Amino acid sequence: MRKVWRDGLIFAAVAVSIPLTIILLIRFTPLPPIGEMEIARETLSKAGKNRADTYSKKLFTQAKIYYDSAMVNWQKENKKFIYFRDYDKVAMFAELSAEKASQAAENSLSSTSSLKIKLKQKIDSLNNLVSENNELFTTYPLSSETRNRISKGKMLLSEAEIAYKKGQYLQANRKITDSEYLLTASYESVTANLKNYFKSYSVWKNWVDKTIKESKKNRGYSIIIDKFSRKCFVYLNGSKKYEFEAELGKNWVGDKRVKGDKATPEGMYKITKKFEGRKTKYYKALLLDYPNDEDKKRFKSEIARGSLPASAKIGDLIEIHGNGGKGIDWTEGCVALTDKEMDVVFKIVKVGTPVTIVGSMVDLQYVVNR
Amino acid sequence: MKNKVLMGLAAIAMVAVLSGCGKKPQVEIDATNAAIEAAKTAEAAVYVPAEFAAVQDSMNVINADIAARESKLFKNFGPAKVKLAETLTLANQVAANAAVKKEEVKKEVETLMTEIKAVIEENTALMKKAPRGKEGAAVLEQIKTEMATIEGSVVEAQAMYDKGAFMDALNKVKAAKERAVGINTELKDAIAKVKARK
Repeated sequence: MRKVWRDGLIFAAVAVSIPLTIILLIRFTPLPPIGEMEIARETLSKAGKNRADTYSKKLFTQAKIYYDSAMVNWQKENKKFIYFRDYDKVAMFAELSAEKASQAAENSLSSTSSLKIKLKQKIDSLNNLVSENNELFTTYPLSSETRNRISKGKMLLSEAEIAYKKGQYLQANRKITDSEYLLTASYESVTANLKNYFKSYSVWKNWVDKTIKESKKNRGYSIIIDKFSRKCFVYLNGSKKYEFEAELGKNWVGDKRVKGDKATPEGMYKITKKFEGRKTKYYKALLLDYPNDEDKKRFKSEIARGSLPASAKIGDLIEIHGNGGKGIDWTEGCVALTDKEMDVVFKIVKVGTPVTIVGSMVDLQYVVNR
Repeated sequence: MKNKVLMGLAAIAMVAVLSGCGKKPQVEIDATNAAIEAAKTAEAAVYVPAEFAAVQDSMNVINADIAARESKLFKNFGPAKVKLAETLTLANQVAANAAVKKEEVKKEVETLMTEIKAVIEENTALMKKAPRGKEGAAVLEQIKTEMATIEGSVVEAQAMYDKGAFMDALNKVKAAKERAVGINTELKDAIAKVKARK
């Protein structure tokens, strides 16, 4: 009987001690930072949805590294005996990850929204730049390289707009940067060239004033060619009587320097001969006294300076002639009018009629604003 | 004495069973990771980014869950195995969706390529009919340069397509087509104006 009691007691002691041990084991087991890890993971996921991997790459990468470190440390601790585990480092990394991920999410949101605004402004301003310059330089003799660069810049701008519409802001930004570089560099270079060209404006204005005065004084006709606006103005008694579209040499910007440069000269000239019928291949023609003394002097000085080779020739046979109306600057340096307009001019002018050719009759500011 | 030994053994067996009943599902983890990697190779991040991010999130949850279960005295990986199986299926689905989307984009590029080539051809024909008087010829010169740029863009888009970068090719060819269509409209308007005047 005593044995039964003793066995019973032992069994009861074992039965109580096992669950007690288990309870104690569980109670004093170090707990992993599950909550902190969950927060870190959710914050990282939110940052990812905010495209922080793209728009706040540095912070997002840091957050990911901290999260991975937390996981590695967690697994490392799990391998230790249950009572020797320490999850402090795991919790620390999880908190750091959540902090960085939260910053990355916010940063990404604000970067995206400010980038979006910046891109929209850039796209609009580049489109305006293209449209303004398109009008200004449609007939301006740009080099094929410049034309290609402008065209490429416009294409990149279109690509940027498509990327922008798709929400691919970084790609749009890259395209806009390239487009802006091509467009602004090209337009700046052409504008600088144009500004340089218009430095002669005061001289042109002086010639124009003299020509109009002469027409008034002589009660006769005078012709003024405005190269930039491609106009041929006929004055009588100091007042404008006719206005025609004119076509010029392909490289009309700047003065004529040398034979074959396809430039239309600038200066005050006079008609020296009138041709029609078989004497000209351009319907009717008015030969000018190019090169005049000024032109010869400048040409000689260029040869002396070495800016032109000694073998260079000054050129001649600059005329106002027919066969115009092609809509493009195509002559070798002459001024072309349509045959109908040439009939009018040919009839009213005579040998000795002044012909003044200028870059522009209005200043650059007016040209740009026009 | 015999009873004591039996009871001792029973206690040890109980502790052993309770503490070691779960084994980390490494095979399932590896399989799911491989499926995610396959989805990545299928460019899921490019063609179905949201779905791919969801799979990655799901795997992160599972990894944390497994680590949490490993921290426990009594491990049970049963629920994790179920989640792993679900994520594996999801990853396979995402890879398949990425392939479908990629094929769609590829087809879209092909269609745009055919369309843009037709527009370029039409523009070349229209250029011959376009008015050349006044500033027309100068504008035509400009258009020629634009057309050359467009053709250059088409060549670049084709190179991207050949490399399998369909999304990049799509953006490029779309922009080129927009410009080509713009020129087409400009030319048609100019021709129509001249006809109306006649």
